[in-house]
Amino acid sequence: MNTDQLILSLSADLRRVPRHALARRIGFGMAGGGIVALTVVMSMLGVRPDLRIAMHGFAFWMKWTYTLSLGLGAIYAVSRLARPLSGSLRGLWLLAVPVLVLAGIGIGELSRTPSQDWLAMWLGKSWMVCPWLVLTISVPIFAGLLWSFRKLAPTRLRAAGAAAGLAAGAWAATIYCVHCPEVSALFVLTWYSLGILLAAGTGALLGPRLLRW
Amino acid sequence: MAQTEEQLKTWMLDGLDGDAAAHGALLHALVPLLRSFYGRRLRSAADDIEDLVQETLIAVHTRRAAYDRERPFTAWLYAVARYRLIDHLRRRKISVSLEDAAPDLVDEDFEAAFQARMDVDTLLSTLSVKQARAIRDTHVEGKSVVEAAAEAGIGESDVKVSVHRGLKLLAARIRGSRP
Repeated sequence: MNTDQLILSLSADLRRVPRHALARRIGFGMAGGGIVALTVVMSMLGVRPDLRIAMHGFAFWMKWTYTLSLGLGAIYAVSRLARPLSGSLRGLWLLAVPVLVLAGIGIGELSRTPSQDWLAMWLGKSWMVCPWLVLTISVPIFAGLLWSFRKLAPTRLRAAGAAAGLAAGAWAATIYCVHCPEVSALFVLTWYSLGILLAAGTGALLGPRLLRW
Repeated sequence: MAQTEEQLKTWMLDGLDGDAAAHGALLHALVPLLRSFYGRRLRSAADDIEDLVQETLIAVHTRRAAYDRERPFTAWLYAVARYRLIDHLRRRKISVSLEDAAPDLVDEDFEAAFQARMDVDTLLSTLSVKQARAIRDTHVEGKSVVEAAAEAGIGESDVKVSVHRGLKLLAARIRGSRP
């Protein structure tokens, strides 16, 4: 096709691009993936029976604050990396803040617990499955973000993949909280974070292949 | 006739708001810009360059949601164009063979070149950031004034003036430092 024809066909029935198109696109991708992930968790794993009571407790909100703050930071990174000139990502060191706060709570936990119970507290009842479940739940959210990226223009594909994986992992962990009854900060710090990191690492590995355009 | 950043950005914004004529005008105006961008960087056939131009037009069209209305348009365009170029080279698996690259790698004058590079850096560090950047972009890295202006987010005449004044200052400084 010659270039003039191409331009004609591209500018025929042109669609308006709304002002915050990029944020919307990422929002829709995340929401779509999130709904699938939530449905999977509710139907396959089930909501913890004491969710209502747990929502009045400290542990539940500690977990949510941790995963949500990571999730919001990761979405910020995704939205930066979705543009060809992504600029500096120096603000991302703020992601260390929730990790350090949780580590602080964990140290407090250790000091209040007799040392023979430390191992049981750290491993909880589900350390073997927790990271893998978080990784699995992150898959539909990651897929949603891949859909978002189809109209966006990332140029640092590995970084964009890692950020998408981190966002998917952190939001998967947030959703997993409605099922998981663990209460220890050290448990969350280790096993939730491991699942989130697995998702981010997978994203970094797949990014250059899946995000190419 | 090359269009100015202001004109291109106006067309882009109107296109985003759904104005098909502005969008068409923008894409038409990008064709010569992109042809010269790829022409300068690739020694391949005209067909290849035209393919790249078309791919870039399609990318500008389908991925225009990734344009930030508050930022310069040309900077965004060249970032997209550069990505398409890198992808093209990767796809074609074009790489420089070792024999071709060898003279560059084992350059006997490597140290001299390195020294010269250091001298340039030292000299440029005596200028203002804007002047140093303008000279580095246009005279060391060989970018065009249009690209340098777009990347620095300043006007083309600003780049030219910065280069001119900076070089003049440097010349005066070198003359002054000689015995």
